[in-house]
Amino acid sequence: MTSTQTMQRPPAEVRYADELARLRDADTAPKPPGWALSLASARKFVVGDEKSGISKKFVGDPSLVDRALVTLATSRGLMLVGEPGTAKSLLSELIAAAVCGESTLTIQGGAATTEDQIKYSWNYALLVAEGPSPRSLVPAPMLRGMAEGKIVRFEEITRCPLEVQDCMLSMLSDRVMAIGELNGPDGMVFAQDGFNVIATANTRDRGVNEMSAALKRRFNFETVFPIADFDTELALVEQEAAKLLERSGVELAPRRDVLEVLVRTFRDLREGSDRLTTVMSTAEAVSVAHAVGLRGWFLRGEVGSAADVVECLAGTAAKDNAEDLARLRRYLEQHAARRKGAQWQELHRARHLLPG
Amino acid sequence: MGAVFVGVRHHSPACARLVAATIEEQQPAYVLVEGPADFNERIDELLLGHELPVALFSYSDQHASWSPFCDYSPEWVAIIEARRCGAEVRFIDLPAWHEAFRDVSNRYADAELRYTEVVDRLCVEFSVDNVDVLWDHLFECETDPVGMAEYFDLLRGTADADEGDSAREEYMARWVRAAVADAGDRPVVVITGGFHTAALKAKLDGGTEWPEVPERERGASYLVPYSHARLDAFTGYQSGMPSPGYYQQVWENGAQRAADWLVESVATRLRERQQPVSTADLIAAHTQAGALARLRGHENLARTDVLDGLTSALISEDLTQPPPWTRRGTLQPGAHPALAEMLGALRGDKVGRLHPGTPAPPLVNAVQELLRTHGLDQEGKVALDLTDAEALGRSRILHRLRVLRIPGFTRTSGPTEGAQPRLDEQWTLRPVEERLAALIEAAENGATLEEAAGAVLERRSRHAQLEELAGILFDAVLCGISTLSGRVKQSLNEGVKDTGDLAALGKVLSGVLGLWRHDRLFGTRRDPLLGSVIDVGTARVLWLVEGLHGGPAPADPNRLKAMAAARDAVLHAKSALSLDVVDVTGVATRVSNDVQAPPDLRGAALGLAWALGSKPDVRKVRTIEALGDWLAGLFAVAREEVLASPDLVGVLDELVSAMDEDEFLVALPALRLAFSYFPPRERETIAATVLAHRGVEGSTRNVTRLTVDPVAVAEAMAIEKRVDALLVKGGLA
Repeated sequence: MTSTQTMQRPPAEVRYADELARLRDADTAPKPPGWALSLASARKFVVGDEKSGISKKFVGDPSLVDRALVTLATSRGLMLVGEPGTAKSLLSELIAAAVCGESTLTIQGGAATTEDQIKYSWNYALLVAEGPSPRSLVPAPMLRGMAEGKIVRFEEITRCPLEVQDCMLSMLSDRVMAIGELNGPDGMVFAQDGFNVIATANTRDRGVNEMSAALKRRFNFETVFPIADFDTELALVEQEAAKLLERSGVELAPRRDVLEVLVRTFRDLREGSDRLTTVMSTAEAVSVAHAVGLRGWFLRGEVGSAADVVECLAGTAAKDNAEDLARLRRYLEQHAARRKGAQWQELHRARHLLPG
Repeated sequence: MGAVFVGVRHHSPACARLVAATIEEQQPAYVLVEGPADFNERIDELLLGHELPVALFSYSDQHASWSPFCDYSPEWVAIIEARRCGAEVRFIDLPAWHEAFRDVSNRYADAELRYTEVVDRLCVEFSVDNVDVLWDHLFECETDPVGMAEYFDLLRGTADADEGDSAREEYMARWVRAAVADAGDRPVVVITGGFHTAALKAKLDGGTEWPEVPERERGASYLVPYSHARLDAFTGYQSGMPSPGYYQQVWENGAQRAADWLVESVATRLRERQQPVSTADLIAAHTQAGALARLRGHENLARTDVLDGLTSALISEDLTQPPPWTRRGTLQPGAHPALAEMLGALRGDKVGRLHPGTPAPPLVNAVQELLRTHGLDQEGKVALDLTDAEALGRSRILHRLRVLRIPGFTRTSGPTEGAQPRLDEQWTLRPVEERLAALIEAAENGATLEEAAGAVLERRSRHAQLEELAGILFDAVLCGISTLSGRVKQSLNEGVKDTGDLAALGKVLSGVLGLWRHDRLFGTRRDPLLGSVIDVGTARVLWLVEGLHGGPAPADPNRLKAMAAARDAVLHAKSALSLDVVDVTGVATRVSNDVQAPPDLRGAALGLAWALGSKPDVRKVRTIEALGDWLAGLFAVAREEVLASPDLVGVLDELVSAMDEDEFLVALPALRLAFSYFPPRERETIAATVLAHRGVEGSTRNVTRLTVDPVAVAEAMAIEKRVDALLVKGGLA
């Protein structure tokens, strides 16, 4: 067993164990069959509730969370789509933790994902010794989720080959998995109450357009959008960056004006005609803010400055793309100079730190 | 007894029900309603029996604003109910032309939205997306909403009203005090936006004189027909409750039935657009909506419960924009069809209609009289021969209506700026519903059609750029408004004098030249002011052309137009010009020899000199680089001269034949542009000249008309090239 103290990132049900316990204790509303919490409590867990001391964990539209939870209580799966870095995976983790108390039944989709990793595989030593039996079966997340009535998270489902995606069809519609190798009642695993699937897909890779219509029909789609409001995004970046810096042993909190510059730059470069081809998500902003803090602290023993922002932007925002680099330079030269405030002037002065 | 305050959200069915119940219960002596006090004498006009929605449109010379009413407006219900129980009704707010309404175009917008902080806090508290959802959540989907007064007090509790709101509240409070004093022991019911209620309650002590209605110099209020679409179109600070079509259903049939109606009409609309909506989808939408309502603790399905249910069930793609009801925004282009149809259904399609006896502003009667006497009030096509004085009069009426943007009068053909003179016009007339509303609203510009159209053109000309000025002048001429055109000509003259925009100048010059030369119809022929515009404009073109330097750039048709206009001015408006032809030729020759000038301009300058009688040395053409662009310039200005010069055509033929394939492809776009200046018949003439030059007998028709598909030709050429290459490779060439 690993200690939760040294875990780099404990799962949501561990991080928020006490909140979940409190919600469970106070929960009087009827629960959907197989759920650990009622819909209303699950919603509180995600969008927060000041009165009962539940923190706000997801800053998007509350109605999105409502729709997502209601969908999971029906017989359709939930598909979260959106630009990379819009907290789709975080949302799916939080919802899974709230609904079934476990967010670790996760399949990470990719070009090399096979059916084995989704349904089940075999312990070959036992398989050779005993033949196919429940003992030699190694369950993968779908099998466990169905048998135990839990939420299964399927990350980046559209990155899987189409034929692998389609193996989900029968499990989602008939709610049963056939294990052809086993005879008798062991050969059919019926989904228990509480089982459902949350899939995520991002619109930058292969989008959801290529998914088969049959599979699409088994999901309700929810698009997660970038944070609409500047102040909310700034607060989030500040909070998350501070947490990360603390974990990295940086003793100084990031400067607010530097973060302001950073978040504004990200927002400007995310939309409009000078938009970068790289993803300028909130998650990316947090990681840049983290890097800025690290640079300042470990290189000079002080808080990160606007000049550090430029250095870090060059690496993250303009990944290998000469055009993006040119846009970034144009932005620093023309837009930054026109903005008021010492931090913007600092950013403008540091423009020569961009490579090339 | 004192005052009973009912704070409302404008256009809220829940508030309308509350208002009706309060008046029924109180049986008041006075019902005071937030509305323009200057309309009090004419309040009976509201009760003539209109089909709602209608709006009170008020205007002054500063700005205009609307006070819209629909069936479920609390203000409207208050008026109806007050009349029913015999109470006196008074509008108690400042008139629309008051300073306090300077930036307000919708009187019944949500005042609290201007003070967002507390609204934001409440949205977080209740975990809802925005204020509309909050409102539905708290009040609209409950059968007996509670806590509305507390809600408004909370909104107001933290916000200081701005200057405009304070002035309005001060004025409304004076009415309340006077009414309370006058009513004696009977109650007074006060219906205002909930944001103002707390402030009014705090101002109950003071003088009890009936307030005076502020006077104005110019301006009036009239009823106009309104529509759900317009009610929904206000944005930002001007917006009130969205989705009038849906709330109309809520008002008529209750929230539960309205939800069913919404699902059904979205499905119908989508199916009409050939979008698949299966029964399973509809069941899913119903289930989802019901579950959402339960999760959110709604007694009846709220608007967003249904919308969220439909979104989950009908959309199986990623969206490019958030659903508009989550962000209080409007729909951006490229939206998902399901979203668009949902918004369409919510918006509703009801169009109001005024009772025929409703007083209208003078302009409306004046226009209707004009249309009737000139036979323009029916549907159909109208052809006008402008040389006929009677037809010219009708044309002017139609143009004035067009300038005022009154719908239903479309010109399908007729004289256009700068083109060859046309003496006839075709119009299509279509009496449409919105015509009356547009006319009433246009009344702010004047009492007669001529005055109103003149005022609109005048306003347009005040901020117009040079390019638009020419259009405005032309409009003024078409409308027969002579007082205005003098001023416009003056500003044209000044604009032309120091403009640096050759393209705009070309457009203006050719337009003005057309009017100066041809316009007997409109009396602008040989107009001295126009003549001076031509004079100054021509000089300016030459000045700009001589200063234009720069390497080879693609031919710019707009500046070529300016050169052609300069040519026409010199050739046809010599009497207006103070320039000497010799000087013009001098400039043209200099530019045509200037290696630094762009090639198209050099060609055009050569053309100009040629058109003015100085025949060029054809041999020099052989030294030209960027031939295509150069030709575009030449042909744009000296088309006729080129046609009459077989020498030049011959040289061109040799030059083009000598190009290798790459050179030809580079020159092709410019060559195409160049030859597009010739109409087909003249292209045949050129072809004949080429054939003659080569000594070939044959029909020009075969040369200029391609009967084979160009793609086939291209394929054949590619094959031929490959064969050649193979032959070379095999040593057989």
